[in-house]
Order: sequence, then structure tokens, then C-alpha cells
Amino acid sequence: MTRNCIVVDLNRCIGCFACEIACKTENDIALGEHWCKVITEGPTGTFPDIEEYWLPTMCQQCKDAPCVNVCPTGASYRSDDNVVLVDKSKCIGCKYCLMACPYGVRSWNAELKCVEKCTLCSQLTAVGEKPACVAACCGEARFYGDLDDPSSDASKALAAAKSGSVHRLTDVGNGPSTAYILDSSIATWKSGD
Amino acid sequence: MAIQWSLVLFTALTGLAGWMFAAIAVSEFKGTMKDAAFPAGLVALIVLIVGGCCSVTHLSHPDRMLGALGHPTSGIFTEAVLVGLVAICAIVYLILLKRDASAGARKACVALAAVFGIALSFLAGSSYMMSSRPSWNTFALPLGYMGTVIPAGIAAYLAVAGAKKVEVDGIFPTLLMVGGIIAALTAAIYAAVSGTMADSVLYIWVMAVAIGGLLPAVLGYLAKKKPASMLTYASVALICAVVGSVAFRCFMWVSTTSIDNFFHTI
Repeated sequence: MTRNCIVVDLNRCIGCFACEIACKTENDIALGEHWCKVITEGPTGTFPDIEEYWLPTMCQQCKDAPCVNVCPTGASYRSDDNVVLVDKSKCIGCKYCLMACPYGVRSWNAELKCVEKCTLCSQLTAVGEKPACVAACCGEARFYGDLDDPSSDASKALAAAKSGSVHRLTDVGNGPSTAYILDSSIATWKSGD
Repeated sequence: MAIQWSLVLFTALTGLAGWMFAAIAVSEFKGTMKDAAFPAGLVALIVLIVGGCCSVTHLSHPDRMLGALGHPTSGIFTEAVLVGLVAICAIVYLILLKRDASAGARKACVALAAVFGIALSFLAGSSYMMSSRPSWNTFALPLGYMGTVIPAGIAAYLAVAGAKKVEVDGIFPTLLMVGGIIAALTAAIYAAVSGTMADSVLYIWVMAVAIGGLLPAVLGYLAKKKPASMLTYASVALICAVVGSVAFRCFMWVSTTSIDNFFHTI
């Protein structure tokens, strides 16, 4: 089964926010809304032992996506290639998916009056390109691909990661696919279980 | 999270209507307060329809609502179906009353309206049980949704009966007392087990427990002692119970946060 998602190597992330901007530009996202939002985790600790890292958050491509489960019209759905997407023409604007998403990574399109979210830049990946956030990452910290394909960039990044350095956001039964690589020598993971 | 007034009013009003049908069903089965059945049934139906319309105002694209028919497992679909079923049973019941139909048919119709209405008051709350929101993900929430509208439904029925000068069956002031206590208990239990004590003093302990639960219970006791003042007691109890049920729902909205917010340090 295909499991396309993003893997982020936080050891390499410099907190430039280029992914956030590239996402907004590529997908024409309104002011104040985000499909990809970089959260600054820290600084924590006492000088000189302080640490900080940046956490880009976007749709985590959950295996058992709560947004899909609560959607009354099927506007939130899983595509044939297993990507969680929103069919805006079916969205009635009930916002249940906004409440059900554990990560707050869905946004409201006030102009179209419907919910939208990261599509993994399907308009780009369909023609063989990388998602805008991956292409724009100057630290080469973002990887896109199928986690079930060992030859994908995402799988290779995870395979190369040190033991114990692969993390995921808090899992409340939804099974987030997106993975974060953060070594304890850089910072202590604080963003979930 | 901001209070979603459309959903607050939808669940409070449809719940009130559901429990009003339950009170009418008790009268129907006991064969008492016959002159109150039609006006009370009509009022309950109107409240149900107004409540249903409130939920539609929450949607940005109500024109696409029929898409919900393709996904019968969602909470919205269940609520919509129950509103429809209660309305159908209520309309048939009112027609049977007007046509002076058999008691058996009337009982069956109003009993179904009551069962669907009570189920609606519970399931409207269970729709919010989501693992992403820890304070909502407890059975105490739908119990609170159901419990806080019990005194509202009974008080509304008594108010209609009082306005129509119908002699009230002695069981109803007692039921109002019990309903008020259940409302107070279920609201307090939710505040205790949800783990969200922020804003609970005003919304839960003052408005939902004291005003929405204990006051209607006291007014039920007074109405039992002095049936002549039924309209006054029932009207005040209705206002108090509606305030309490609305406050309970407002608390749910203002006190929630997504699970992920617990894991970010900044």
C-alpha cells in the first residue's frame, strides 16, 4: 500500500520558514491561514545549556484519519493513492474536521467557505516534481515519498536516521504517518509521545 | 475555541423538544392532562424545527447538505435523521389528536417521538466525542447534553399546561425536581471528569448546576406545594433550565483545546 508523506529532518532544519512561504505561494493560501506552519519549540533550559528546534507542522496523513471519519459528506476523503484530501465541492462547512484533527493543521478558506489543507502538492507530484515545501528547503531537511517504498527519499531518510531519533506527533489512535528526525544531541523531542 | 452559537442553540432546543415529547408521552400513557397534549405537542414541534434551522445556520454550504445522505455513519447524519423522525412522529401525533384517533395509535406515536427525542439529546453530545479533544472525549459529555435539557422539556410542558389552565398531574412537579437534580449532577460530573476547570465557576457551577439544575428542582418542589401558581413556577423553571443547558454547551466550547497544544513549549 502506498503511504506518501513528508519526513522532516529537524537536525538539519535552520528555522528559515521557507517551507511555510513556499506552501503559501504555491497553493495561494490566504493571509493568516497555513497548510504548513513552522512552530518554534523553545528555547528551553538554562544558559549555557539551552536548546531549540523548529517543527514544521502540516497534514500528518494519518492512517486512521479522524477528519475523514467525521466528515458527513465525504468531502474529506482518501484518494486512490492513499493521500488524505479535501474535495472542496462537497464541503458543507460544518468544520467537524477542524475539531477532529488532533494537530490543527486544517485551515478555513473564507472566500470559498470551505475547509482545505496540505495536499502534498498533488498538482506537482502528479507530474514528477517535489512538493513546494520540499523543493524550497535550503537545509535539505524535508523529504517526500512513499514510506512503503524503500527507494523513496522519505524512506531513505528514515533508514539513515539514528536509532531513537525518529518521532511522530502525539498519536491518539489516528496513526500519523509524517515522521520527524531529531537526535537528542541537537535537542530533546518535546512535541509528542 | 469560540462558542458556536448555532450548535449551542440547535442542541439545546432540539433536546428541550425531545424531553417535552417525553413529558407529553407520560401524560398520554397515564391518560391525564389531555387538553395540554395538542398545544404542548405543537410548541415542541415548533421548538424542534427552530432548533433544526439553527444547525443549518452553522453550515457555509447548506445547499450541499444532501451529500450527507451518502455517509450515514457521521454524527451530523444521525442528528439530522433523528430530527426528521421526531418531527414526523410529532406531526402524525398532532393529526391523531385532532382526529380523535385511538389511544393506542396516539401512544405509539408520542412514545416514538419521545424515544427519538431523548436519543437525539444524547447523540447530539456524543458527536463531539473526539480523541483529538481530551475534554470532550468522555461519556460525561453526552450525558450532560441529555441531562441538562430534562428540566427544560418538563418545565416547558408544564408552562404550556399552566397557560392553558389545564389541571396538572401531580407526577410532573416531582419529575421536574428529579430532572433538575439530574441536570445539576450531569453538569457537575462533566466539569469534574473533563479535566477542564477553566471558566467552570460561572458556566458550570453557577449557571448550569445552580440556575439550570437546582433552581428548577426547587421550583418543582414549590409547584407541587402550590399547583395554583404552576404557570409562574414552570415559566421561571423553563428560563432557568434553558440558561443552564445553554451555559453547559458554552462551557464545552470555551474549555476545549486540541491534544497537540499540550505538547508545544511555546
